[in-house]
Amino acid sequence: MKRTFTYKLNIFLFLLPALILFIGILIAPIIMSAYYSFHEFNLVANTDMEYVGLNNYRILFSSMLTNPNTGKLYANSMYLGDALAHSLILAALSTFIQLPLALIIALKLSKGIRGERAYLSIFFMPVLISTVIIGRLWMNIYDPGQAGLLNAGLRALGIDKWLFPAITSRITSSKLPFTGQWTGFRETALLAAFIPILWQYVGYHMLLMYAGIKGVPADLLEAAQLDGCTEGQVNRFIIIPYIKPILKVCVIFAVTGSLKSFDLIYALMKDTSRAELPSTLMYKLLFLHQRYGLGSTVAVILIVLCFLFAMLISLAFRDKGAKVA
Amino acid sequence: MKKVCALLLALTMVLGMASAFADEVPTLTLWCIATESDANRPAYEAAIPAVEEALGVKIEWEAFENDSYKTKIKSTSAEELPDIFFTWSGAFAGDFATAGKLYCLDEEYKNYTADLPEVMLQNSTYDGKHYAVPLTMNIVTLFANMDLLKEAGYDAVPTTYDDLMACCAALKEKGIIPFGCSGNATWCVTEYLEPIIEKTIGYEAMNEIFAGRATWNDPAIATAVDTFQKMIIDGYFDPDGLSLDNDTVKANFIAGKYAFYQNGSWNCGEINDAEGNFQAALFPVMDAEKATYGQVIGGPNDALAVSAASKNPELAAKVAFALGKEICHYGYLAGSGLPAWTPDYDTSAVKPLVADVAKMVAESEGMVLFGDNAMSADPANVYLSYVAKVYGCEIDGAGFIEALTNELQ
Repeated sequence: MKRTFTYKLNIFLFLLPALILFIGILIAPIIMSAYYSFHEFNLVANTDMEYVGLNNYRILFSSMLTNPNTGKLYANSMYLGDALAHSLILAALSTFIQLPLALIIALKLSKGIRGERAYLSIFFMPVLISTVIIGRLWMNIYDPGQAGLLNAGLRALGIDKWLFPAITSRITSSKLPFTGQWTGFRETALLAAFIPILWQYVGYHMLLMYAGIKGVPADLLEAAQLDGCTEGQVNRFIIIPYIKPILKVCVIFAVTGSLKSFDLIYALMKDTSRAELPSTLMYKLLFLHQRYGLGSTVAVILIVLCFLFAMLISLAFRDKGAKVA
Repeated sequence: MKKVCALLLALTMVLGMASAFADEVPTLTLWCIATESDANRPAYEAAIPAVEEALGVKIEWEAFENDSYKTKIKSTSAEELPDIFFTWSGAFAGDFATAGKLYCLDEEYKNYTADLPEVMLQNSTYDGKHYAVPLTMNIVTLFANMDLLKEAGYDAVPTTYDDLMACCAALKEKGIIPFGCSGNATWCVTEYLEPIIEKTIGYEAMNEIFAGRATWNDPAIATAVDTFQKMIIDGYFDPDGLSLDNDTVKANFIAGKYAFYQNGSWNCGEINDAEGNFQAALFPVMDAEKATYGQVIGGPNDALAVSAASKNPELAAKVAFALGKEICHYGYLAGSGLPAWTPDYDTSAVKPLVADVAKMVAESEGMVLFGDNAMSADPANVYLSYVAKVYGCEIDGAGFIEALTNELQ
C-alpha cells in the first residue's frame, strides 16, 4: 500500500512542474478571460470592474442595438457576426483549397522528382518569412498605382477593361467605382487578405504531409504496383488513408489557424475593418477602445470555437474500425 | 612576490570601484515616437545629449513607431512605465492622469513660466493640475503644389470654398488629381473631414461636441460630411487612396501627382525641403456665419509625461521640461513642428513653409484639438470607424450623425 502511494506520489511530483506551467499559462488565462467577459473596465484609466452579466455577449452578437435614451434601434459598430462569418470563410478556403493544394504538391514531390529538396525549400520559404514582410510584399502586389504587379498585369492583358466594371457592379458597400483598390472595399479586401494567408501556409501543410508520405512503408507501395495499381489508385487507396492522422492535424491547424488569424490581416488592413476577423476585433476592443471586458468576451468566444472545431474535426476523422475494436 | 601581486590586484579593484562610483550618474528611462524614419528623430537626437550634458544625467531612450507605441503604452502597467514617456495630450493623457499614473508637474513648471505660456498646457491640465510637458504644436495644414495650380490657371491657393471647387474642376480637366488621402490610416481622413466640419459649424460648437457636451445630431455636420463625400464622388480625390498608406500618399504629393495634400504641419520640413514650389494654407470657410478662415484643427498635442512610479520623479520632471524645451527648439528648426515654447534662440534659419504655418497659428481665431485625441479611447475609436465609412462612401452625412448620436450619446 505504502509502495503504491510512494509510486503515485513520485508520478505526481514529476508531473507537477508541467502541470503548474499548463495551468499557469493556459488554464488560468482562460478562466480569467471568462471572468473578465462578465465585467467592463478600463485598465489604462484604472476604472473599477463593473459586473455586467451577459451584456458583453449581447453587444457582440447583436447586429442592432437599442439606444437607451431614445429606444430606437441602431447599427452596432462592434458586431461580431461579420467577423465570425469572415473567419468561417477563411477556414473553408483553407480546408478546401489550401490543404488539397498542399496534398497535391506533397504527393508530387514525394515521388522523388528532380530537385525535390530545392522545391521543398521553395514551397516552405514563405512560412519562414516574417508575416510583416509578407504583408508589405502583398501590399506592393495589390498597389493600385503603376507599381502594383497585379493591376499592371491586368492592364497589360486588357483584362481590367471588363473586370473592374464587373467588380464595381458587385460592390454594394460603397458608391465608389473599383479601379484596382483590392484592399479598399469590403467585398474585395476579404479575398485580397485571404490569398496571402493561403499562399503562406501551403508550404507548412505540404511539409507535414510530405513527411507522412515518406513514412509509408515501401513494401506496401511495391505490392500495390505489382498488383497493377495506377499512381492515382496508390495515392487514393494507400497513401491518403495511411497519412489520415496527419491530414487530421493539418485540418485542425488550418481551421483553428483561420479562426485565430491576425498578423497578416493587420499588416495589410491596418486599423480599417474591411476584412475584420474576431482576432482583429479583439485587438481593437482591448488596445484601441480600451474595453477590456468586451475584448475578453471575444477571446472567450474564440477559445470556445477553437475547441469546438478541434473536437468536430476529431470526430469527423474518427476511425470507425478502431471504434468497433 | 605573491603578496605584491595580491596588493596590486586589491589596488586595481579599489581603483576600479572608485572610478565606477565616480562615474555614476543618475539614469532615467524615456520612451518616445522617433524611429529612424520619423520626422521627430533629429530633434530627439539633438536634444537628448544636450540635456544629458546640462543636467548631468544619463537618458536611456527607446524609440517606437506610432501605432505600435499606442498599443505598448496602453498595455504597460503603471510600475513598468519608464520615468518619462511620450503622450498625446487631451483625453489620452487624461486617462493616465485619472488613474494616478502621472506625476504632477506643477512644482517644476514654476521654473518655466516665462518660456512656456500656460495656455500651451491647457490640453494636459486635469483638475487644475499640469501633467505633461508640451513639445511642439501642430495644426492641420493644406499643402499646395503651386506648379500644378499654375497649370490650372491659379497663382494662389483659393481661399473661398467656391474658388477651391472651381480650382479642383480646372485641375481635373487638366488631368491632375486635386487631393490625395490615405484610406488605410483613418486619422488621415480626419485631417480632411475635421477642418470641413469646423469650417461649417465653427470651432466652439466642435469643441463642445468633442467634449461630449453637445450632440452629434446636427444637420450642419451632415451637410459638411456630404460636402466632403461629394468631393470624393466628383473625382477630386485619388481613388487609389482608399488602399494606400499615408507615406505613399505623401510621396505621391511630393512627386507631383496631387495638387493638394491636407495633413499635419509636422510635414512642413519634409515638404519644404522637397523639390518644387509648395505653399501652406488653411481649408476655406464653408459657412461664414459660424466659422472664420483662421479657425484651425490642432494645438499642442505632443507631450512628455513623468510616471508616478518613477524612483526619482523630481529629477524626471526637471529632465522632462528640459527635454521638452530642447525638442521643441530642434523640432521647430527642422520643421517637424511649431513651437509650443517661446523661442529664445535665433529663428532666422526656420524653413519658410514652417514660418508660414507658425504665422497662421499666431493669427488663429480658434482651435479644436484633433478628434481622436480630444475624445477618450472608446468614443474616439467609434468615431474613427464611422469616419472610415464616410471616406469609403459606405454611409452619408445623415448616417454619420445618426450612428454617432446613437453610439456616443
